[in-house]
Amino acid sequence: MSVLRRNVSVALAIARKDAIAEVRGKQAAVSTLTFAALVLLLFGFALGPDPRRLADAAPGLLWLGLVFAGLLAVGRFHEVETEDGALEQLTLYPVDRRSIYAGKAAIGALAMLVLGALLVPLMAILFAVDVVHALPVLALTVVLGAIGFAAVGTFYAGVTVRMRAREVMLPLLVLPIVAPLLLAAVKATSAALTGDPFGELPAWLELLAGFDVVMLIAGAGTYGFLVEE
Amino acid sequence: MPEHPLREPASASMPQTTIYASPRSVGAPEQLPPAVATRELARLFGGHPALAGVTLTIPAGRCVQLVGPNGAGKTTLLRILATAIRPSFGSAAVDGLDVSAHPDLVRSRTAYLSHETGLYDDLTATENLSFAATMLGLERDDTRERVPDVLDEVGLAEVAALRVRGFSAGMRRRLALGRVLLARPSLVLLDEPFAALDEAGIQLMEDLLDRWRRSGVTALVASHATEHIAGRADASVQLEGGVVVGVEGDGVIARPPAHQPQPRRAIEVAP
Repeated sequence: MSVLRRNVSVALAIARKDAIAEVRGKQAAVSTLTFAALVLLLFGFALGPDPRRLADAAPGLLWLGLVFAGLLAVGRFHEVETEDGALEQLTLYPVDRRSIYAGKAAIGALAMLVLGALLVPLMAILFAVDVVHALPVLALTVVLGAIGFAAVGTFYAGVTVRMRAREVMLPLLVLPIVAPLLLAAVKATSAALTGDPFGELPAWLELLAGFDVVMLIAGAGTYGFLVEE
Repeated sequence: MPEHPLREPASASMPQTTIYASPRSVGAPEQLPPAVATRELARLFGGHPALAGVTLTIPAGRCVQLVGPNGAGKTTLLRILATAIRPSFGSAAVDGLDVSAHPDLVRSRTAYLSHETGLYDDLTATENLSFAATMLGLERDDTRERVPDVLDEVGLAEVAALRVRGFSAGMRRRLALGRVLLARPSLVLLDEPFAALDEAGIQLMEDLLDRWRRSGVTALVASHATEHIAGRADASVQLEGGVVVGVEGDGVIARPPAHQPQPRRAIEVAP
């Protein structure tokens, strides 16, 4: 088995294992989705019935919901490793640490994409936004944002996994780092929904892609040191 | 000054110059590197030495029991050899490979059964072992073939499709043992392997120790259940306070620590 094939196989096994655990532990998945939907719903009510105001706020609220719910998801994908010494066992397998990171980041990104697929239509309904015409660009933005967020979230979930107060520490560490990603994602979403009148969409998408590349390389290179005692 | 119980003639206390006996397996090469070789191995936890200068050489193919009271350093020694933790001082090598310099190569040669099972509750027994097989580098066909065999061997074939969450402590232990069997290691590190096992489980564990012994796999077993290991172990190593205080049996060589590390003292503050 070639090294690359083995690393891909390990990453897929980890992502698959976490996906099975997530689907079977229905309560956690449902509560994450409910939480994300509630964020949109409550802010929608708080902003009032003005359609223009709702449409302006929609991109920001979509990403707020995605990031908050995403934090819960990436934290949980590491929390399963804290049960009965699973993390130690994971580190004792003769595998490249980068493939463990890749697997965890992949399932984190997948969770964000599922959340995005559910929240975008919800946003369209609650905030009366027409998303159909912007769907391809919107999908690209969500994909790039999900990868970047999962790259950072997985790294910091690795930092906090052995901490007692990891649920508190994870958002405190992740949110400042993903600020550029959030800014770019919100701006790109806004540009996509409004038809990009100022031609700024490519620049924001480039920033998102650049953020993803840098964070994935940094995360993969350092994750191994984090999970080993 | 009384003679230290481990003090031996110079020729016997120099691990690097010892010619080791070949393991029991037929046709095994002679003069293999020792399965385990530690030199002044120490590990501190918060300034307290859990291991305090262990120099130990175990030839390949032996079954060695680690004995000693709670806190003697048995688990710490096993965890260092399994690469779960790093030594604070000194060195440890498995099959001639330093655990700090070549952790991945050491991991591919060792299997560690710890107090914790490292299983995923929401996965079935089959899924847990299949995941372990992928992580251990088994090909898909090999995994498909071996996982049911291993589950059968550890007596969990009937509950293979059930989630581990509902398993008893003994069943979890058996499944973790199945993971050890999948690994096909040259060094097996077992921490209280008889804990939580019923009579059939104990018999299974005893049979496995016999099988490993016959096939030249080195087994290092930390256990208080001497009655189950007595006839199987080639040697026993007595640990106390993080140092080796006695060795019985054949082949294993230990030396007393050159320096006895002291626990870090609290800083006294003048009133």
